[in-house]
Amino acid sequence: MNNSDGTKKGPFRAEVSFNRHIGQKYHRLGLDFTGAGAEAFGTSEPGQFGELELSKAALPEPGAIAKELTDCAERQILLRRPFSFADVQAEKNSTYVEILYRVVGPGSLRMSTLSGGDSISVIGPLGRGFCVPEGKKTALLVVGGMGAGPLLYLTKVLSENYPKIEVTAFAGAKTKNELPFERRLDEVSQGLGFSIAEFAKYGAKSLIATDDGTAGFEGTAADCFSEWLKESSLKSEDAIIYSCGPEAMLKQISEIAEKRNIDCQISMERMMACGIGLCQSCAVECKADGENESIYKLCCKDGPVFESKEVVFDL
Amino acid sequence: MEENVDISVDFAGVGLANPVFTASGTCGYGDELADFTDVNQLGGFITKSITLKVRKGNATPRIVETNSGMLNAIGLANIGLDKFIEEKLPILEQFTTAVFVNVAGERIDEYVAVTERLVGEKAIAGLELNISCPNVSKGGISFGTEPQQVTEITSAVKKAAGEKILMVKLSPAVTDISVTARAAVDGGADALSLINTFPAMAIDIESRKAILANRTGGLSGPAIKPIAVYLLNKVYNEVARKSGTPILGLGGIRNASDAIEFIIAGASGVGVGTANFIEPGCTAKIVEGIKKYCARKEISNIKELIGSLLKGNNYSRQNVSHQKSPA
Repeated sequence: MNNSDGTKKGPFRAEVSFNRHIGQKYHRLGLDFTGAGAEAFGTSEPGQFGELELSKAALPEPGAIAKELTDCAERQILLRRPFSFADVQAEKNSTYVEILYRVVGPGSLRMSTLSGGDSISVIGPLGRGFCVPEGKKTALLVVGGMGAGPLLYLTKVLSENYPKIEVTAFAGAKTKNELPFERRLDEVSQGLGFSIAEFAKYGAKSLIATDDGTAGFEGTAADCFSEWLKESSLKSEDAIIYSCGPEAMLKQISEIAEKRNIDCQISMERMMACGIGLCQSCAVECKADGENESIYKLCCKDGPVFESKEVVFDL
Repeated sequence: MEENVDISVDFAGVGLANPVFTASGTCGYGDELADFTDVNQLGGFITKSITLKVRKGNATPRIVETNSGMLNAIGLANIGLDKFIEEKLPILEQFTTAVFVNVAGERIDEYVAVTERLVGEKAIAGLELNISCPNVSKGGISFGTEPQQVTEITSAVKKAAGEKILMVKLSPAVTDISVTARAAVDGGADALSLINTFPAMAIDIESRKAILANRTGGLSGPAIKPIAVYLLNKVYNEVARKSGTPILGLGGIRNASDAIEFIIAGASGVGVGTANFIEPGCTAKIVEGIKKYCARKEISNIKELIGSLLKGNNYSRQNVSHQKSPA
């Protein structure tokens, strides 16, 4: 068996097509797969993820490393890093995958130096993504920071495969410059309105929330969503909530969904060593069927997308 | 020629196609690996720890990456013996590779009870006794540090194990690993496996709290390899060679060169753990690499390599006659 290219989920080689800054905090990495990798990643669902091997990528020049990361930059990294997809485009002989990321440690520091033409090893697509139950007319996307990635890809898939579903995204960040989106935010709303070009191009409405009020609603994406929902005449059974972001936000969204009896799928995050069900480290506490006791499911295999009502939050 | 190299191993009476194992707790129950590699290319497969009752495991975070390594504190999360027999044994039965079940527990009678249930199963070549897990409050490592307890638990399980071979997995967290190794051999161990992970800790300096929910975890990966090679060679020289006990060497093996180091130090088998998380098909490459090395060194049978560490160091005169003359 050829190990580099030939198993169902890799590892596959991907060629970097671009790697650029988005706003102050975020980056986007474009990857091109060919051959078996293109076939595998061409079937990716929104919410699924890939495991990137970054240990062989170079560190930035010492002067280009943020002060708070200089110590951790000295660490030799060992494990792959999981990232979900902000976009997937399957062409005839290749598949393009885009990843939204932030530089937070020794793995993503190395990731930030990748440039066009570089080759990296990727395992995937992994896990269970978002799904669309029958009969839904409205999709409500609540986005916290990096959570924008999988929800942008979901928006694209909804527009292509479920054109009758109306999509509204609520995207939050600490401040305007930390919004993880392409294109300038010329039409930033001061309340309601179309504002994020990347959602608009798929015909989705979007609202911005910033903690400091520098753009859109002053507060969190969850607060913005909650306010919007109060005004809305939405029928619960017509709607579905999709959310990805910090766990505190997911908890808040899950509570709102439960109170309003709206279906809700959330994408969870856990430290994971492998992403393929071997290490058992990415446990997510879930309610057990018909019992009071909880069970652990694996974020990498049973998730990362879970029904919000099954998750037991530890916050 | 690689095809003329015999890398099959007699491991305490079990014939293995090659010396490469997957380490317990790093490859689940076998089915998880199927998307990445052919389990039958392995010499041996060791399951995740099985306990009598289902165990949920620890809260998260259960892992954290450290310099050239990682800490884990999974807490022996497993589906329990009943479900293992019902759901996983049928999968393991289909493997042609030698299957070892890692057995854990809180009390000796639990280890014995699990062993008694498995002893009649044809799919299983042997058992690996986990007396060195650093991540559970009861049992685990506490059985593996007191020599008398090591002998006692080994002999109790050996009685229950019948024809199955019993391998005892040793902790590195002892004053002298040869003492626990000897205690296991005295108790009737057919084979030894070493090392399990090192008890270790990582702290978040911003919050001043331990990163793992369990506070401490076991260190694995390339960071521990030189220590593992040293301890294995020590056990080989001081205990295993004389008693004829084969050793499965574990600790940071990522490639064929790492594996060969362990074999030279005295290992009859080599276990790959953490590396599976990064390259889930790496074991097949390691098997190929060992063959290539043997061919290059004109070693026709891998038995010639086991415990073949020469005296002296790489620069001493004693070595000169074994080096090829410079071209």
